[in-house]
Amino acid sequence: MRILLINDTAKKVGRLRESLIEAGFEVIDESGLSIDLPQRVQSSKPDVILIDSDSPGRDVLEQVVLVSRNQPRPIVMFTDDKDPEHMRRAIRSGVSAYVIEGIQSTRLKSILDVAMARFESDQQLRAELQAREQQLEERKRIEKAKGLLMKMRNCDEPEAHTLMRRQAMSKQQKLIQVADQIIAMHDMLQ
Amino acid sequence: MNRHDTPRADALAWADGSDAPEKPNLNIGYLPLTDSASLIVAATQGFAQPYGLTLNLRRQASWSGVRDRLLSGELDAVQGLYGLIYGMHLGLGTVATPMAVLMGLNQNGQSINLSNGMRDLGVTGGKALAHHVHQSGAKLCLAQTFPTGTHAMWLNYWLAAHGIHPQRDVDTAVVPPSMMVEHLRARRIDGFCAGEPWGACAIEQGMGITVATSQSIWPDHPEKVLGTTRAFVERYPNTARALIMAVLDASRFIEESEANRRSTAQLIASSEFVSAKASILTPRMLGDYDDGAGRIWQDEHALRFHGEGTVNVPYLSDGMWFMTQFRRWGLLDSDPDYLGVAREVQQLELYRQAAGALGVDVPACAMRSSIFGDGTVWNGSDPAGYARGFALHSLAETQPTPSTIAE
Repeated sequence: MRILLINDTAKKVGRLRESLIEAGFEVIDESGLSIDLPQRVQSSKPDVILIDSDSPGRDVLEQVVLVSRNQPRPIVMFTDDKDPEHMRRAIRSGVSAYVIEGIQSTRLKSILDVAMARFESDQQLRAELQAREQQLEERKRIEKAKGLLMKMRNCDEPEAHTLMRRQAMSKQQKLIQVADQIIAMHDMLQ
Repeated sequence: MNRHDTPRADALAWADGSDAPEKPNLNIGYLPLTDSASLIVAATQGFAQPYGLTLNLRRQASWSGVRDRLLSGELDAVQGLYGLIYGMHLGLGTVATPMAVLMGLNQNGQSINLSNGMRDLGVTGGKALAHHVHQSGAKLCLAQTFPTGTHAMWLNYWLAAHGIHPQRDVDTAVVPPSMMVEHLRARRIDGFCAGEPWGACAIEQGMGITVATSQSIWPDHPEKVLGTTRAFVERYPNTARALIMAVLDASRFIEESEANRRSTAQLIASSEFVSAKASILTPRMLGDYDDGAGRIWQDEHALRFHGEGTVNVPYLSDGMWFMTQFRRWGLLDSDPDYLGVAREVQQLELYRQAAGALGVDVPACAMRSSIFGDGTVWNGSDPAGYARGFALHSLAETQPTPSTIAE
């Protein structure tokens, strides 16, 4: 597992880095400035990003999340802040796990494994939500086009639906494409 | 940071109700064949969204690819040859994996074709082929699409009915359906059994003739099924039911009118799907047959996708028949629990729920009785006796002959 360790604060990460290597991880980077972080994430393609919770604010994290939204990576924070409320808030915002300073290297591995698993199931849920939203959106447009066609042809709903489908199939298109064409044509004639 | 909020499973349940598909986005594998039509129509013509599904069609190059990707989880459900699904379940040529047949996709519409070289020798039917095979020194090579598949079983049955032993008298090759014409052209094979439009294509390209349709062997025979693993059904029962509903609805739509059939043919001919000329694919889909050797007819048992639901019922007797042929041809060394295995694989209860919700009739009996082209009857009773009742077979010689042979 490749880990990008981001250290742009004064906090000593020496022990954490050693612990990671001891636990068998490949620590591929460690850097002072965070300004080129997005590029570094893209070029080094880490499995996990490990970042200090005190690094110049949440902006860096946000920037990483935005940059990596097409190839998302789990983000894990290390901190000496033991306030469970802070952790909860961070996890809600997309952080996959927390690593508390001074943790044993043997526990690190299981925490990062859990972070990976959690991240993967989050990704799946997100993809499913997106699929549902798209289904709903397509259904709305198909219903709208059907309604327009019913008025134009003065026909009932099943007939309009069949007409649209036949048109789509004869043109080797999807139903949603024909629906969009009907809506566009209607908007133009308005 | 709202955009990156973790979606909650409970919120999804609240939004969609408890019957909502657990997995809304499905990858569906299929091969470029006319009998993929109901899957293509379901995925592209808005039949899946009302049931909360998005179907992503994934065209495959071979039946082995379909099998491997279904097992790896890359595909959620597939168009499968009846025999392929049972072969996977019984572990023939692969590790045994519990499988599920969700519904039948179509009946009829496959064909056995011979090369023009054979035609020029006067071999235009089963009798002439038998004569040629028993006289000529060189073994012919005939292709089908998968060792446990339906085409292997149709070819075997047809050859044996004419006194040709499919495993001793001819060589067999396995070739993906869309590659058949190419192999015929290169003279690597002398004939093939596959789904349409590839028989019609062989004729159109002047490479061969059709000597038998699969429906002449068994009128209204089961062919392709909507298959998945049993693990998928157990993990995503609502998804499986919704998938049946979407495909059943599309199957019904295709057969609602001649115009629907024709536009379906137009759609699936696209290079994106079957990739064949619509003018070649359409006639046989509508039952207009031309065997390439002068015979033209309207087939009474042409390819069909719904038949008021009779096509789609996962009959136990349909699944059992393929096991009787596995037994007959030595793919199984002993009799399986025919009925028990079929009950495990055929998802009758899920199908009943889906069909009921759509107002499609479901027969009370899970067995059906068929009369084959040769006059024999198959109704699911005494499968072990049926498997032993053929003159030509490859049953293990050591098998003790049971006292009750059904004849």
